[in-house]
Amino acid sequence: MRRSVVGLLAAIPLALGTAWWLGFPHGGAATTRDLLGRYCTDCHNTTDFTAELVIEPRDLDKLASDPAHWEKVVRKLRTEEMPPDGPRPEHDQYQRAAAFLEQQLDAAAAAAPQPGDVPAFRRLTRTEYRNAIRDLLALDGLPAELDFELLLPADNAASGFDNIADLLFISPVVMERYIAAAQKISRLAVGDLRAPVMVNIHQLSEQLPQDERIDGLSFGTRGGLGIQTYLPLDAEYVVELETAAPVPEPHEIELSVDGARVASATVLTPERRPGMPRRSSEQVTFRAPLTAGPHLVGITFVERSEALDESVTRGRMRGRGTLPAIAMATLRGPYSPTGPGDTPSRSRIFTCQPSSAADEPACAQKILTTLAHRAYRRPPTDADVADLMPFYEMGRAEGNFDTGIQFALERLLVSPQFLYRVEREPTEPGAHPVSDLELASRLSFFLWSSIPDDELLAAAELGSLRKPDVLRAQVQRMLADSRSEAMVTNFAAQWLFLRDVAVKDPDIFLFPDHDPSLRAALERETELFVDSVFRSGSSVLDLLTAKHTFLNERLAKHYGIPHVQGSYFRRVELGPESHRAGLLGQGSILTVTSYAARTSPVLRGKYVLDNLLASPPPPPPPDVPSLATEDKADGAPLTLREAMTRHRADPVCAGCHAKMDPIGFALEHYDAVGRWRDDDGGLPIEPKSELADGRVIDGPEGVQAFLTSRPELFVSALTEKLMMYALGRNVQYYDAPAVRAVVHAAAERNYEFSAIVEGIVASVPFQMRAASATEENEQ
Amino acid sequence: MKLEMGKFVSQKALPRRTFLRGIGATIALPLLDAMVPAFAADRAPWTPRLGFVYVGNGIVHKTFKVTGTGKTFEFSPVLKPLAPLRDYLTVISGLDHAQANNLGDGTGDHPRSSAAWLTGVHAYDRTRPGVEVKLTTTADQLAADVLGVHTPVRSLELAVDTATQSACDSGDCFYVNTVSWRNETTPNLTENHPRVVFERLFGDGGTTAERAVRTQKTASILDSVYAEANRLAASVGHSDRSKLSEYLDSVREIEQRIGAAESEAHDDVHLPERPLGIPDSFDDYTKLMLDLQLLAYQTDTTRVFSMILAREVSNRPYPHIGVPDQHHAASHHRNDPGLIEKKTKIDAYHVSLLGYLAEKMRTTSDGGGSLLDQSLLVYGAGMGDGNLHQHTDLPCVLLGKLGGTVTAGQHLAYPSGTPMTNLLLTVLDKVGVKLPAIGDSTGRLSPDYLSAV
Repeated sequence: MRRSVVGLLAAIPLALGTAWWLGFPHGGAATTRDLLGRYCTDCHNTTDFTAELVIEPRDLDKLASDPAHWEKVVRKLRTEEMPPDGPRPEHDQYQRAAAFLEQQLDAAAAAAPQPGDVPAFRRLTRTEYRNAIRDLLALDGLPAELDFELLLPADNAASGFDNIADLLFISPVVMERYIAAAQKISRLAVGDLRAPVMVNIHQLSEQLPQDERIDGLSFGTRGGLGIQTYLPLDAEYVVELETAAPVPEPHEIELSVDGARVASATVLTPERRPGMPRRSSEQVTFRAPLTAGPHLVGITFVERSEALDESVTRGRMRGRGTLPAIAMATLRGPYSPTGPGDTPSRSRIFTCQPSSAADEPACAQKILTTLAHRAYRRPPTDADVADLMPFYEMGRAEGNFDTGIQFALERLLVSPQFLYRVEREPTEPGAHPVSDLELASRLSFFLWSSIPDDELLAAAELGSLRKPDVLRAQVQRMLADSRSEAMVTNFAAQWLFLRDVAVKDPDIFLFPDHDPSLRAALERETELFVDSVFRSGSSVLDLLTAKHTFLNERLAKHYGIPHVQGSYFRRVELGPESHRAGLLGQGSILTVTSYAARTSPVLRGKYVLDNLLASPPPPPPPDVPSLATEDKADGAPLTLREAMTRHRADPVCAGCHAKMDPIGFALEHYDAVGRWRDDDGGLPIEPKSELADGRVIDGPEGVQAFLTSRPELFVSALTEKLMMYALGRNVQYYDAPAVRAVVHAAAERNYEFSAIVEGIVASVPFQMRAASATEENEQ
Repeated sequence: MKLEMGKFVSQKALPRRTFLRGIGATIALPLLDAMVPAFAADRAPWTPRLGFVYVGNGIVHKTFKVTGTGKTFEFSPVLKPLAPLRDYLTVISGLDHAQANNLGDGTGDHPRSSAAWLTGVHAYDRTRPGVEVKLTTTADQLAADVLGVHTPVRSLELAVDTATQSACDSGDCFYVNTVSWRNETTPNLTENHPRVVFERLFGDGGTTAERAVRTQKTASILDSVYAEANRLAASVGHSDRSKLSEYLDSVREIEQRIGAAESEAHDDVHLPERPLGIPDSFDDYTKLMLDLQLLAYQTDTTRVFSMILAREVSNRPYPHIGVPDQHHAASHHRNDPGLIEKKTKIDAYHVSLLGYLAEKMRTTSDGGGSLLDQSLLVYGAGMGDGNLHQHTDLPCVLLGKLGGTVTAGQHLAYPSGTPMTNLLLTVLDKVGVKLPAIGDSTGRLSPDYLSAV
């Protein structure tokens, strides 16, 4: 089964032509040696030992022996960061030297591919587990009692991502949670008639306005909530709700399921008579028979005309004026169940139905074989099914056929072959391609954050997945599938820190309207925007510059963009005066890179260097000198910018801040929640400043120009982040040749997102696994 | 005798106040005296309990340190909230965590602080090629090896923060998310949701018969997956099995625990309502988590816990105590008096939360005395001066008398450079965990003023 390494590498498209990295044909060893001697060795020699780095031009002959060292040099040359001052090479001299070094390093890497080291047993992340349950059991939108955030602990994030393989631990506490989750999920999926009553509580934030229609609920309704849930059985369910305050005038509340009204009631606080206690809220209870499966349960007010209302003041707290709001809703059930119903989950699980008791074992065998096939991501062995059957029998003895399947499913969901992605270790030293089935799992967890589907498994089982056209077709198919939304909601959301938007808490006195609906809108805008660029086939550089975005009324008002009405998101083409082009014009990113009460040019500059250029500045020393707080000679307070300019006069700080601050200053027209402003509390905004190399950055457009002037740097950064996410490990110096190959190939395809994905899929670290065994690891 | 589980499964949401009243009014305290299992001869005749409470971002020495030593010390602004508990308080100064220094390992003072706190072991920067996750079993877990054997829950790991992706001063954020490690490669994840903590302690309901069936099934599942995992290990032929070992160890440990729980006997306990969500106010939330821990002690559900009151690099603002500033930002006060005042308020607030738990323990009777008489809470951090990221003269406060083996009510000043692990070694010794060393310890505290009368 071993394939030749050479054959595999041939699958990586070799780009030729006049691409940027060949635009300056390298000048060969002599020229490079000369450049290093002239510009680097004054500091990086054995005497000065600056930054603990010695550059020895004579070592160019044997640079393959220390790629870690030379990749550092390449990076500094490509980004033209060094030398910090004094005479510097010309742009093409830099690039020629870098190209020479890269060519040598790439050749060495091709001769001895190094796929890196990832644990052979890799636990699914919480996100992957949730998606695997969705795809294995057709179980989506679980009830609040089964919220995955409570079922399973959060995973550790490191270097920005929570799927780093060696940090996916299992401890006894985690194991207990998997056992409990397996029971709850299997009962819901099968429709266990003895399932206990669930109490799903939905509390509504005080800050959440309830003066508009909730997206997804009927027109003519106002406020309340829509609960996307999955009901376990055909049964009666009780919905209880509590208003936020007394309701002095009658209002109608309706209960709807999937858009159809099921019940309604009028809520009114009775007039208080002497001696009666004051009422703080009103309760309403509905009881209705509902069918099992996924439903949208709406609890909302019927809108009354306000045409006669003289008040036009709209507070942002819950409701307008005296309009009542819902504080909490509880969905309880099932009661008096009549059957498991006809649910997507049951159709997916029960691939056969026994017609007699004699049929049952064979049917169970068939069902469990199919489930194990999908859950373990490979054809199950007899032993795998034999592990499950005793639990079927235990359940069958306890209850009926369905109970048997439920017990076996519960057992399957705790199997190490479900909870872990397992890869066989090569028996011989060196790098070897992973098996087709392992490759299928790598693909599906990369592109879908979930298990492979039947089609992908079939391709792997046929042994055709490694054919370049088959692989490419699978990648294209998977990217087109809706499950690839994980590229946005899991990858991009972590890469861009979007998950921090929801927990970011801007100062409530300065930004009183920063409520949960705005936070959700900010996050959603960026998700939809990134999705539009990823799927459009246009260049990923559009992430920085595209003149469109996605808005609803709430967000459009926040930005001051007119003519956007209603709570749903739609694509909006941006005019030049909107200042909203690209990611750095979006409130999500501008908010997570601000402090609670003010903007931070440093945080924004650092964000760009970290996330968009993968060139993080080192953290500051702990005892940084204070930002000058004294006033100027004329008694006027220093502007933030003036204070920072003084700060940068300190040579300890200057090196890094010279890179970060100009980017941050250029974004100062955005306030701490991303609104455009013309001044900062009366102080002028100066969006223009100079980088160390003399380039000027002026305003958001200046940042865009700066980032797109060297597109390969941004694309390399995105590729590194995507590769870290795809591999589940930090990207190291030995991955640099693979990153370059991906970027080169993507350049040939106008840097479209799918070209980067295909490049990563074809890369050595994605395709191969090395024997990690060292003697000392042997137990 | 079994915990009566059926009663607490709440079917309606109750505000926290009701829940607290529930603890005070309806809990029929178990007769802990009667519950103490027949200890082996070398075990203490009392029920020792340990708690380890961590606060990140260091302190300001001039507002934290008490003046005077021995029994006549005077309170500092930060420790002032503990004045009513003076008789139970031991302040220890002079302890260091040298292993939290960078040792040529670059940035990451914060993660190294929480990693070193209960280990005295250096956490290497894992983002570099070839460096693997490696720490060691923490002191709380070493204690649980002995104290956790007879309780339904071995130990509890609590937190009131949610880890963010962007707030961490090195790539290794997971070192700040917990201070408890099961072994050298497995951190114990902390739990920050009251409902999950409650269900971990007391289960999630059902009748006695239902629970018995469930336990039976769980035991069968554990047996079955254990066999499967072993078969898997053999078939894939890996030398690197550390991840699978985590799985196998976890399965084995739960199996043992199920066995122990079945043999354990309890009086009927009326538990309070199950908490459903996280209260809006941080103060309410933290106190609820501390109440849960108190409940765990009262019901003898666990005897060891650790809790992170403030994660390293936490940027939580504290508007409810008049500090709208973010914690980590304020900790780098650069000697600005205004920021020092704010950091001092935050530190004193955390100390008052410790006092909240200790005071409740003091007024909860337990056998011959109070819970606080029998327990010891260790409060502190792996970072001293938070402004400069130093790991010397660490904040360290003990509350409790540990069955009379700790002479409280004094300030003990040890010579600068005394490893914090010497204290850990001394404390563990007192609860019957005899170890030659912990991390970089050089021996038990000497002289052991803790025990001196």
